[in-house]
Amino acid sequence: MDFKKTYIGRVIYSLVSLTTGLKTTLIEFFTPKVTEQYPENRKTQHISERHRAMLYMSLDENGNNKCIACGLCANTCPNGTITIKTKMVTDEETGKSKKVLEEYTYDLGCCMFCQLCVNVCPKDAIAFNNKYENAVFDRSKLVIKLNK
Amino acid sequence: MEMSTNLLIFSGLALLMAAAAIAAVTTSRIMRAVTYLLFVLFGTAGLYFMLHYTFLGAVQIIVYAGGIVVLFIFAALLIGKGIIDVTHTSKLRYLAGVLASMSGLAIALYLIVNTTFITDKFTTDGVPMTVVGSALMGTAKHNYVLTFEVLSILLLACMVGAIMIARKK
Amino acid sequence: MFDFSTITTAIDQFLRDIMPSQAALLVECVLVALCAVLAYVMFAIVMIFMERKVCAAFQCRLGPMRVGPWGLLQVFADVFKMLIKEIISINNSDKVLYNLAPYLVVMSSVLTFCCLPFGEGLLVLDFNIGIFFIMAASSFGVLGILLAGWSSNNKFSMIGAVRSGAQMISYELSIGICLLTIVVMSGTMQISELVEAQRDGWFIFKGHLPAVIAFIIYLIAGNAETNRAPFDLPEAESELTAGFHTEYSGMHFGFFYVAEFMNLFIVAGIASTLFLGGWMPLHISGFDSFNTIMDYIPGVIWFLGKTFFVIWVLMWIRWTFPRLRIDQVVSLEWKYLVPIGLLNLLIMTLCVVMGWIF
Repeated sequence: MDFKKTYIGRVIYSLVSLTTGLKTTLIEFFTPKVTEQYPENRKTQHISERHRAMLYMSLDENGNNKCIACGLCANTCPNGTITIKTKMVTDEETGKSKKVLEEYTYDLGCCMFCQLCVNVCPKDAIAFNNKYENAVFDRSKLVIKLNK
Repeated sequence: MEMSTNLLIFSGLALLMAAAAIAAVTTSRIMRAVTYLLFVLFGTAGLYFMLHYTFLGAVQIIVYAGGIVVLFIFAALLIGKGIIDVTHTSKLRYLAGVLASMSGLAIALYLIVNTTFITDKFTTDGVPMTVVGSALMGTAKHNYVLTFEVLSILLLACMVGAIMIARKK
Repeated sequence: MFDFSTITTAIDQFLRDIMPSQAALLVECVLVALCAVLAYVMFAIVMIFMERKVCAAFQCRLGPMRVGPWGLLQVFADVFKMLIKEIISINNSDKVLYNLAPYLVVMSSVLTFCCLPFGEGLLVLDFNIGIFFIMAASSFGVLGILLAGWSSNNKFSMIGAVRSGAQMISYELSIGICLLTIVVMSGTMQISELVEAQRDGWFIFKGHLPAVIAFIIYLIAGNAETNRAPFDLPEAESELTAGFHTEYSGMHFGFFYVAEFMNLFIVAGIASTLFLGGWMPLHISGFDSFNTIMDYIPGVIWFLGKTFFVIWVLMWIRWTFPRLRIDQVVSLEWKYLVPIGLLNLLIMTLCVVMGWIF
């Protein structure tokens, strides 16, 4: 007869296994706690770099962006979050007319942060940053113009 | 002074018991009747505590409260919904009930009137635990080992029967 | 050691001086009841706070932190919320029993609470059969639970109540056997004498192996008696919504809640009285200077310290193990705890007869 299956064996082995469980939780009791105390810990809290909180356009010091107004992002967006207004500008040197971005509007309230727009952009003009405190009192404030 | 405080507590308990007893027999719902019976039993336990017979008082609570639990389970589970509310009683039953309770009252009154109470043997210190224990287990005169054993055999028979019924074939 | 009976005797003398003894007795009854109920509620509040913090710590959280410093006022906020909530009455329920049930549960728990020895002379009920009275008083709490389940007119409540009945009646047996083991060892049932007998060493050290086994069985059975996890199947949230108190709201639910916590306190208090010496400081015979130092710590602190340690252990168990099934609950009791407890009682009797206890 297997000792583990006898009456006494069962008592002893169940006590051992219960003790293992108790040991696990006891270690957990003394480990540092993971709770983030949000509004107080703004200075120390760590938000992952790749956290997608809001779309932005990287602008250089003159306020120029890399956008070529191709409209791929607006077309890919499943929710129609992005609207692009373009205008035709004639280059003075070559005399060719070129489509230029006039207004890049992003509706944060519709965005589901799927990152398809960022992936599809051929010029890496747009990206997500991790600034997550976006609460506002009015829905219209969520519609943001990204270019300057 | 001491006597009148006792009298006050006694009358309080007696009133509680009488009221609960009347409520127990007059209510038409069996669960309520059982609960009122519980208060009668609590009152009895209170009387024992008043007499400083704490052992019997605790036994009263532990045995009869346990008994009431059993009654609850029987009343709630084994009795059908139709029988829980007893509203139909024939006149013959009513008369029989009155006769039975009246004869009970008569016997009790006869005993109370005709008994001389041995008040001088009454102690307020309570009975020591060891005396109760050795009386329960003793074989001498006025000791209870035979009763104790007979009861334990009865309970053993009940347990064997319960196991036989509950066992899977 | 400071004797609290000097204070109580002084109050008694003062009252007897200014009024007839009968009125003094009445005033004392009211005062004692008031103190007991106040202490009961205060301990319940402390325990609810402790439960939240300990539970949080076991789950690597911080627990309530917002209301007051470290969330200290959270429980008061909860109590206030519960007090102002409406008490709902249920259609087709037995109104009388429905309203009576919470009071029965609280009554049983307050009666048992009064038997705990908080310090020398700080003990409300001290019969010569104290332990037996504790068993009796705690045994009719299950009546309130059964009544609550039945009168709610709800099948979940009923199932919870019947489960609770089966569980509490079974586990009372184990508790009784464990208490009996200690009674066999000490030869008395009076609580003050039990504590006094541990002056030269706590029973768990004096009784060595059988006392330790009895202590473990008592903790398991006591946990079951309070209907807490892993024995919380009378109120199993995932199956029965809230078990027997599903239909209760407001303070009626509050009574069940408080009584559950106080039953935990009582179980821990009895464990510390019977096994860990009650209010008696840690004494090691032979080390007189050590004993004198230990005597400087008041008995109330010793009692509360031990009790809250046992409560912490029970909470540790609660937040570690998953819930048992009803067949596992019953087979644990009848196949394991009762036979082992009876054998343990036999060993203890043998030890006492042979003089193997210290």
